[in-house]
Amino acid sequence: MYLYDPVDQQLVDQRVEQFRDQTQRFLKGVLSEDDFRPLRLQNGLYIQRHAPMLRIAVPYGILASRQLRTLAYIARKWDRGYGHFSTRQNMQLNWPKLEDVPEILAELAKVQMHSIQTSGNCIRNTTTDHFAGIAPDEIVNPIVWCEIIRQWSTLHPEFAFLPRKFKIAVSGATHDRAAVGVHDIGLQAVQAEGGALAFHVWVGGGLGRTPVLGSLIRKSVPWQHLLSYLEAVLRVYNLHGRRDNKYKARIKILVRELTPKVFAEQVEAEWEHLRDGPATLTQERIDEIAGRFTVPTYVQPAPADDVEAQVRNEPRFARWVRTNVHPHKVAGYAAVTVSLKATGVPPGDITSEQMEAVADLADRFSFGEVRVTHEQNVVLADVQRAHLYGLWQALDALGLATPNIGMLTNIICCPGGDFCALANAVAIPVAEAIQARFEDLDYLYDIGELDLNISGCINSCGHHHVGHIGILGVDKAGEEWYQVTLGGRQSSGAGKAFDYEDTEFPKGGGGAIIGKIIGRSFSRAQVPDVVEKLVKTYLRERDSDAERFIDVVERIGLDPFKTDVYGAESSAARRRDEEVANV
Amino acid sequence: MSEQANTMSDNADLYNIRQGHVEVDEWKRFSADDESGLPESGKWLIPLAYWLERADALRTQGIGLAVLVTPDDEVERLQGALQGVSLVAVDFPSFTDGRGFSLGYLIRSRLGWSGELRAVGDVLIDTVHYLARCGFDSFTLKPGHDPEHALRQFRAFSVHYQKQYVNPAAGVPAAGVPAAGAAA
Repeated sequence: MYLYDPVDQQLVDQRVEQFRDQTQRFLKGVLSEDDFRPLRLQNGLYIQRHAPMLRIAVPYGILASRQLRTLAYIARKWDRGYGHFSTRQNMQLNWPKLEDVPEILAELAKVQMHSIQTSGNCIRNTTTDHFAGIAPDEIVNPIVWCEIIRQWSTLHPEFAFLPRKFKIAVSGATHDRAAVGVHDIGLQAVQAEGGALAFHVWVGGGLGRTPVLGSLIRKSVPWQHLLSYLEAVLRVYNLHGRRDNKYKARIKILVRELTPKVFAEQVEAEWEHLRDGPATLTQERIDEIAGRFTVPTYVQPAPADDVEAQVRNEPRFARWVRTNVHPHKVAGYAAVTVSLKATGVPPGDITSEQMEAVADLADRFSFGEVRVTHEQNVVLADVQRAHLYGLWQALDALGLATPNIGMLTNIICCPGGDFCALANAVAIPVAEAIQARFEDLDYLYDIGELDLNISGCINSCGHHHVGHIGILGVDKAGEEWYQVTLGGRQSSGAGKAFDYEDTEFPKGGGGAIIGKIIGRSFSRAQVPDVVEKLVKTYLRERDSDAERFIDVVERIGLDPFKTDVYGAESSAARRRDEEVANV
Repeated sequence: MSEQANTMSDNADLYNIRQGHVEVDEWKRFSADDESGLPESGKWLIPLAYWLERADALRTQGIGLAVLVTPDDEVERLQGALQGVSLVAVDFPSFTDGRGFSLGYLIRSRLGWSGELRAVGDVLIDTVHYLARCGFDSFTLKPGHDPEHALRQFRAFSVHYQKQYVNPAAGVPAAGVPAAGAAA
């Protein structure tokens, strides 16, 4: 994990004081509501359905155990004893009081944390692969690059008031686990000629009401020029992105309206002024930042383990190993996903007690580091295989060993209408009903790999567009309805991150696909049945166990699924429904 | 405050921060729609297009001249056209319209303007620090935002990550100090 230097600490401390002053002026009535709103948003503070919501930054998803303990403490002292991990690898608290927020931020600053730029029309938390640094398929560890981008984007004087929010993701592997194809900017590490590190730059992807795949606007930007290139992209966007309509203000609309070619030319022209200028990175600077990260002291050779025998003897452990244990580049080590997707618990929620227990387990088994995944789980990245059984027992006792990673019940889900003022419909109860329907683990494993994502509104925080099955809450005359999409994905999978068409401006870096709406929407009660029908269609149509749900959708298309879900309705009626649904 | 009458209504006094001091603002916005033309005295913020059309004539009038840049303007058009100008002002119709930050940066770094660069309009206690970092050295504050309080904000952050932008904590930037980017 990254350790602050005095500059990092001073910035965070001064930010707390700045926000304390702003909050006091607001509470005294000196700062107007309209002026305060953008300022508090840039500190992660929303006014929500029940109370303010505070979003705390977890840069690129990495937490030290002591930071997780502080989150537990804050949740207990100023909230209701739990927190929620978001798809941006951050933590959200649903019940803090506005007047307590400066104190909360001061408490966070003590452990090198903050809530800077977790909301508002600025550059948000840079996200990455939750297996960064340990993945066997890695070209470069993206975390150092995320930290460089974090520093560059933090309190950036010129880009704090962009047309709209701005999200950057970095992938350093040949399996894109960071979803670079659906970000405002997706950076994909590549080896340029001669083996030097460079980045493919995908721009203009995003979900939300208008899902768009990013376009590759420049191949292989040499690492030295990464920040000057980002600056050029941001300046073009800041000056020319639409500000007349917030629904058309994301960079994806600018790229689409200009065309990727014209946009790329404008960036290139701006970059000409900046290239080799003061933003140019040096090896010395990279080494300096890399040097502030702790390095795990792996035991080599790692002690022998009994995982094979333990798997044979304990079927519950075997299931967990199958889904929640992942390969590690160091022999004798593994990464473990701590599932926050137990049935009956809102996806991504974690209690203060669980946070403290996970922090203790991280200290015992994983060099004191915890990672938050964009799928709203937690990863212990550096576990000796010899410790897996003990870790599993401990997690099982905490209710954190649900063996469902990669499976249908590992649902990505936004807080939805239960908490969020923007939502049209609840999301958490829908997730719970689906999880309850697929509780039989043998059935779940027979279905195999399947991403199911739920958003409570078109802002798409639950990433439904890239779920193999996506569920979207919509409002029809004041009632909750749910639209279903099929065939989305966040990436094309292992080893395929660079498999795209060799056109001038390919789309969807890493292999992202936007799911298609299957037809008219459903009532909440119908949703589990619909999911089950889709699964049955898949099980009937698949060639073998090896052919995954998403592969079948790709091979046979949507029609067989639609027929099973909607019955023998005329295709004309279905087309009409689709047109309505696509409005 | 100038007694100069204008077709635009006189508002309550506005305050500037310049060179570390608070002063009453003497500059007025000239509207290009004003058919009687620019008055023969006073200090005027002149819209960019109007200035470019009449710069030669205006320079001979012996009055205070400033160019007012709005977010839709292309500042590149001012290349080589700023002789005779006392200051360049960038308008912020809303503080959340961030284009002005980039325009200020470009006026310093791309046009090489080293004279006074002023932010006008929706300029808050809470934005002067960032504006100063983008090269602004003069600020006309929005009514209701205490200039003394704003003055302290130049030290709100004493350290920064983006080294090529000005560090206002090193002292309120004096007029004539270009952004470091200008040297690039």
